[in-house]
Amino acid sequence: MGTSPTTAPTTAPTTELTSADYPLSINRPELLRTPTGKSITALTMDAVVSGELSAEDLRITPETLQLQAQLADASGRPQLAGNFRRAAEMTAIPDAEVLAMYNALRPRASTGAGLAELADRLESAYSAPVCAALVREAAEVYQRRDLLARPAADSDH
Amino acid sequence: MTSTAPRQSTGHRQSLRTEILEARPVNLDGFVEEWPEKGLVAMESAFDPAPSVRVAGGQIVELDGKLRDDFDFMDTFIANHAIDVASAEESNAIPSAEIARMLINPSVSRNAVLAVTRGLTPAKVLDVVKLMNVVEIMQGMQKMRARRTPANQGHSTSARDNPIQVAADAAEGALRGFAELETTLGVLRYAPLVAIALQVGGQVGRGGVLTQCALEEATELELGMRGITAYAETISIYGTESVFIDGDDTPWSKAFLAAAYASRGIKMRFTSGTGSEVQMGNAEGKSMLYLEIRCVLMAKGAGVQGLQNGSISCIGVPGAVPGGLRAVAAENLVASMVDLECASGNDQSFSHSAMRRTARAMPQLLPGTDFVCSGYSSVPNADNMFAGSNFDTEDFDDWNTIQRDFQVDGGLRHVREDEILQAREKAARALQAVFAHLDLPPITDDEVVAATYANSSNDYPFRDVLSDLKGAQSVMDRGITGLDLVKGLESSGFHDVAENLLTVLRQRVSGDLLQTSAVLTADFVPLSAINDPNDYAGPGTGYRLEGERWEQLKKLRHVTSSTNPETEVG
Amino acid sequence: MTTPPATAAQPGRTVSLREIGPARRGTREDEVVVALSPAFAGHFSKTIVDVPHAEVLRQLMAGIEEQGVTARLIRVRDTADLAAISHIGAKLSGSGISVGILSRGTTMIHQKDLARLSNLELFPQSPLLDAAVFRMIGSNAAQYAKGESPQPVPTRNDQMARPRWQAKAALLHLKEFECIEGDRGPVEVEAVFGPGTAG
Repeated sequence: MGTSPTTAPTTAPTTELTSADYPLSINRPELLRTPTGKSITALTMDAVVSGELSAEDLRITPETLQLQAQLADASGRPQLAGNFRRAAEMTAIPDAEVLAMYNALRPRASTGAGLAELADRLESAYSAPVCAALVREAAEVYQRRDLLARPAADSDH
Repeated sequence: MTSTAPRQSTGHRQSLRTEILEARPVNLDGFVEEWPEKGLVAMESAFDPAPSVRVAGGQIVELDGKLRDDFDFMDTFIANHAIDVASAEESNAIPSAEIARMLINPSVSRNAVLAVTRGLTPAKVLDVVKLMNVVEIMQGMQKMRARRTPANQGHSTSARDNPIQVAADAAEGALRGFAELETTLGVLRYAPLVAIALQVGGQVGRGGVLTQCALEEATELELGMRGITAYAETISIYGTESVFIDGDDTPWSKAFLAAAYASRGIKMRFTSGTGSEVQMGNAEGKSMLYLEIRCVLMAKGAGVQGLQNGSISCIGVPGAVPGGLRAVAAENLVASMVDLECASGNDQSFSHSAMRRTARAMPQLLPGTDFVCSGYSSVPNADNMFAGSNFDTEDFDDWNTIQRDFQVDGGLRHVREDEILQAREKAARALQAVFAHLDLPPITDDEVVAATYANSSNDYPFRDVLSDLKGAQSVMDRGITGLDLVKGLESSGFHDVAENLLTVLRQRVSGDLLQTSAVLTADFVPLSAINDPNDYAGPGTGYRLEGERWEQLKKLRHVTSSTNPETEVG
Repeated sequence: MTTPPATAAQPGRTVSLREIGPARRGTREDEVVVALSPAFAGHFSKTIVDVPHAEVLRQLMAGIEEQGVTARLIRVRDTADLAAISHIGAKLSGSGISVGILSRGTTMIHQKDLARLSNLELFPQSPLLDAAVFRMIGSNAAQYAKGESPQPVPTRNDQMARPRWQAKAALLHLKEFECIEGDRGPVEVEAVFGPGTAG
């Protein structure tokens, strides 16, 4: 393809999508890029064989997740759209850390301070305010329902 | 001793008829009396809360008789995320009978129903579906299913975790029509090889089949991230706080996990079902259906696109109490009526009685659901590593005949023997090539021949399990991805299979499969509730089995030709 | 197969448990503690598939003793959770090894240094446990107590166990819960075997 491999924009897309744009892979392929900036139409067998593509090219971008969130909103699914917005934020977080964060949210796995730090890290390191809000909400509920880890070293019980 | 031993005779003389009835398979099934105080009751319990809702300051402050300070974490999550605050008071004020009528009235559109259900509390939803008999529940399902076109999902596993078997059975399953194929393992360390086999075999049978491998979260997510699997569904949720905690999760941890999957472009649904809480001894005195409705709303609040429900692995519990299968049909309806994809059970061994097994599936098969079975065993049940399904390979012809009898689409079709043999052989050959390309333990020509003609894992030569397990580990250590499978297929001459797989992998870049009820057609068109919305509006509308698809489903193994009755068509 | 294995007791043989006193930590390294659930040989008298509790105990104890190890019985009263019952037993066992068992027959071999939710061997499918299996479980527990590494008792599987037994298992579990005495610690018990009562 050889089109401009510009880095993907970091701002939310300005395109206004409606249900008629779905599926994007067929109706709006020009909107879809890989994390390395290639167009989705560049994901061809020739490119695979020549070694131009890496596994990184087969990942979804935060911009695409924002587009899917628009489609979810346009089709009356605000919760699904919210999930896609959290997902868009999470694309930047490495696999292992995503799993570690998930484990930290399990019952009695983290102290209140631990969850507060996690929320701060989501915001400061990954610009993930929507995910951070979910973690802060969890911390508040865990506190009320006795689901926080005890700050002291835990003994066998 | 086996669990299927006949019952002990009572000692006194029985009539000959009683002896015959005692020997009927249905009497090997277990039935118990209800115990509502402990939650051993399907859906009619005096101990379930009465519906109520109150909104103040932009949030729900009272839910089903509880004030916000007394909410457990399920109440809190549902109040904060699932229920539409703006319409909650108004929707809950509508008499339950009116909402139930909306569900079955063809002149009320699906969207008009959703405008009401988005604001309902769990107890209100229960109050509505409690008014419906099983035919009305089916009518509701016919309209509320999210995707217009119904589909089916298969289980492709092996009692020996034999990857060649999984590849060949995946190819046959895909050819027969399964839109999704799921596998799991006896020996977990085999997972990478079996998941590869499923992915390759599935794309041989029919391009666009989506695959998954049920494992613990971390490995399941990793295989998905690498493009060795395409979706996930074994993300369990529960209807009481105590059982949720026993499962070492909370609604917030699961919601986080849901976003994690989406962030990697992987389709995902949660799993729940009636009976799980009472089975674990912590139903908190609530009916099975009330607790399942809490699960459905929790899933909705998490923003996950769909849910696998219909009791699933606990089916023996609702199956044993009065009205249990009505409750199971109702839980599927509830998932659909809050706009979630519903993969509707029928996926676990359920009864010794063939008649009961068939009856159990009617409330899903007749109206159609997004996936009628969330695991029809596309291997013999003895090879089913999900502990057996309600239907297996021996039932293929019965299933096809029932589809033809009632003119309903259960997602499968009859396929001619020569096509099946060709697909099975090609899948085994393709996997042989991929294993060679990746320097994995070789697949012999004898194994390919065995795969072509086999029924079960017993029909294959033994593999060197230790070598396979080393190979499986090396797949993880070397960071093999779906792209490596594409390269292996392409370089060994399986160009069409390689293209199919690449097209599936490309889908995750687009995110189209993340939308509600999405599947891929054989032409790789994403079909979801957005571009294939259920438009049922009464007789003559909605999904109809007609045209080319109906011609396919008219075919069976033996149909006498009307042109020449001395021959069969097919 | 419906005929009971050769090791089965005479039909109708019964057992009752006589409380001796609070359960103590054992000092003998050659003992295995058999930890019984709140309703075992009390509220209930047989497993989910009608194996008499007398027979279960006889086989477990015989399996332990045939390895030259002593069996000591306790009843746990404040929980009906198998992992908890087994772990309590293991911590009281001089060898650190216990066999925990629920009234319906579900059984676990546990070791005191393992995490509570872990175990040495678990037999989750209570409908498939017969006299011969209980004897092997006893024997394996005793071998662990002697520091050996026995082959695990072969586990069985039956996909039709779910339709027949899942709901009854849930019901038995709920009943066992009802027999919990939350404020009472484990007690040492002695098995008193009696003749069968008619019927």
